Amino acid sequence: MKPLLGSFRKNRTLWITLCALIIIFTLGARGLVDNEAVGGERYQDVVITILRGFSTGSIIFLVASGFSIIFGLMNVLNMAHGALFMIGAYVGWTVFVRPDTAVDALVPILLLAGGFFLIPLWDRLLNKLKMPSWLMKTWPWLGLILASVVLIFTLPKYPITSWDVGSYQISPTNYAFAASQGQLVTPEPKQFLGISPLLGLGGILLGGLLAGITVAGFVISRRPATAGTSEGKAFPWETLSLFLAIAILGLVIHYYNTPISNFLLGLDSTLLFILAILVAVGTGALIGILVETTMIRPLYETHIYVLMLTLGVQSIIIEIVRSAWGSPEFTMHRPSIFAGTGEGCPAESLGAILKNNCSTIRVLGGRVRTYNELFIPLLGIVVLVAVWLLLQRTRLGMIVRAGVQDSEMVEALGINVQKIFTTVFALGVGLAAMGGVIGAPSTGLTTTLGDSLLINMLVALAIGGLTSYPGSAAGALIVGLLQQFVIKYGQIGINIPFMEEPFKPTPPLVPALTVFLMVIILLVMPQGLFGRKE
Amino acid sequence: MKNNILLEVQDIQTFIGQFHILQGVNVQVPEGSIVALLGRNGAGKTTTLKSILGLTPPKEGKVVFSGTEIQGRRSYEIADMGIGYVPEHRAIFQDLSVLENLRIAEREKGDLEKKEELIFSLFPDLKRLIMLPGTNLSGGQQQMLAVARALVPDNELLLIDEPSEGLAPVLIEEMMDAIQQLSAETTVLLVEQNFIVASRLAENYVIIEEGHSAKSGKMADLINDQETIRRYLEAA
Repeated sequence: MKPLLGSFRKNRTLWITLCALIIIFTLGARGLVDNEAVGGERYQDVVITILRGFSTGSIIFLVASGFSIIFGLMNVLNMAHGALFMIGAYVGWTVFVRPDTAVDALVPILLLAGGFFLIPLWDRLLNKLKMPSWLMKTWPWLGLILASVVLIFTLPKYPITSWDVGSYQISPTNYAFAASQGQLVTPEPKQFLGISPLLGLGGILLGGLLAGITVAGFVISRRPATAGTSEGKAFPWETLSLFLAIAILGLVIHYYNTPISNFLLGLDSTLLFILAILVAVGTGALIGILVETTMIRPLYETHIYVLMLTLGVQSIIIEIVRSAWGSPEFTMHRPSIFAGTGEGCPAESLGAILKNNCSTIRVLGGRVRTYNELFIPLLGIVVLVAVWLLLQRTRLGMIVRAGVQDSEMVEALGINVQKIFTTVFALGVGLAAMGGVIGAPSTGLTTTLGDSLLINMLVALAIGGLTSYPGSAAGALIVGLLQQFVIKYGQIGINIPFMEEPFKPTPPLVPALTVFLMVIILLVMPQGLFGRKE
Repeated sequence: MKNNILLEVQDIQTFIGQFHILQGVNVQVPEGSIVALLGRNGAGKTTTLKSILGLTPPKEGKVVFSGTEIQGRRSYEIADMGIGYVPEHRAIFQDLSVLENLRIAEREKGDLEKKEELIFSLFPDLKRLIMLPGTNLSGGQQQMLAVARALVPDNELLLIDEPSEGLAPVLIEEMMDAIQQLSAETTVLLVEQNFIVASRLAENYVIIEEGHSAKSGKMADLINDQETIRRYLEAA
């Protein structure tokens, strides 16, 4: 009892604010129960609205947690986080709906990426050459031009089966389903457009290699002359084998493209969904590594530039997605495990969901969607616990918690903080990309998907406390609940005394109210609910 | 050989932003000895330590550590060569427990187990506090933890910044004993404002004045050299 009282005294404002929030939400819930406009079972509305709040909150949390850890550790406000969430959704959608296209796209990506894995090797070899400084400064530019020419010549010629947007919108059913019914022509063997495949594949591989050498050249020419050389370090065999493995994998996928595509098209959509999540997380992490090492790292000292840079990255990503996927709105169906509507559905019990894969379950006489209202919140909790364990129980987590306070001292202990930064950035972006895929079946896909999420996420973090991990969870939950309650009241209206019609908050009022809540909380607790007092 | 030079700082020039903080600092630290950096507030003593570690990399000059030039290398590589750092203001990690504060300094798994005995014999208090978060420690305990943290890996050289700052006299004695004991095994470069502490611990001294090393020599000579003490060390 005593420690509880002590903690209450210490965090008086926090407890009072939390109590106030609970009272507000209880009143909101009571309002739903007492509402005349709602017929039949009233409690179901409360339950469903709360579950939806958890669902929205989970998606916000997936994005916010990574953002907040990145900000805490690196002092980088990554404004591109929303766009990375969006690209996660698009990549996941492609793997899920058109795995054959994803396989096609994988080949040039692997061939290109292979070259970059050789950078440590080039670094070592180039260091041994004693070049005059003018040559060292100029040749990477030559390499850059050469790499660009090779890639411009070969990359667009690589055949990628594009999805037929028109037919997709007419019948938004599963491509995999269509393929299994023989309605979809399975992909033809790949033909390069106008050049021989050997030349094309070799060209892309060469382009990747040249790009890698160029990057190594730029890195070396910028390094201060006093820096120690890599003498005494072991020959980087692992980078060489990594390059070979990736390049060979790319070629294998190219030559076995059709069987791989057909295999994926024939997969059950639940397996495909898991694959989509994995690919999206991996892509997100890779983009994270790329952005962190090439763009953010040189600008660490100047935070305002990093902020502007990430804003720029956001626009670039949105434009890339627009040019690659076009701008129609895509929908994504739920994986088969959450899509059953046949016999025994809606399920009467939790066991029945597992048996019949029902898309809905009966709760208090109402229907709750298993994917949106049960699976997403559950996944949010799983990620919450997993990241918490990572932070509290692993060495990486320990270093991150220490680095949030004083990254210079962490470096002085002999820990490569840059590596930790890159890892954490990749992890944060990976989580955001995962949020994108998970959210896609309920929100659909547009190129502006990330924008509203970014705002919600910033509000959630401001409420919870910018660099606090529990704060990001609490803030996300509060924002999610508030939004769903406002949306619900928008449907049924609030009875206000002396007004004849019930007042219905319109959808545009949702973000406004979230921001309003943030302002109130920040007035009471300027550092957010769980933020540290400066 | 006792008189091997373990660390040699040669004429380093360090800028922080546009400010030319170090304008030619020379320090020699013989192996197995304690060298004190003396000088007034803002003379550049802390920056000298940070320049050795590469936290504020020197723009010119050399830093030679056991025969290897280390200037321009990344800080973690320099620390990895066997240099421990105890920063001023007891910069321990507040959110980590005492145990985690020690664990994080491990360069290889099991480093802490090897040094446990030494650390707890120097600072017996820490054993009792091992699970507490750093933020619950008193100032003196935090300072001890900061020194203990630098002892976890096998360091050949310790850079200790103001160990006695803000400590009660009893704790200063304890801290001095600890530094004396650990100097039997490692070399120490010490920044110390408290001249009495510095003169009792160190064998050699280097005085830093306005960003350059003004005078250096044996501590025994300095104690009797009232002229130098008045000129460089007493409040202006």
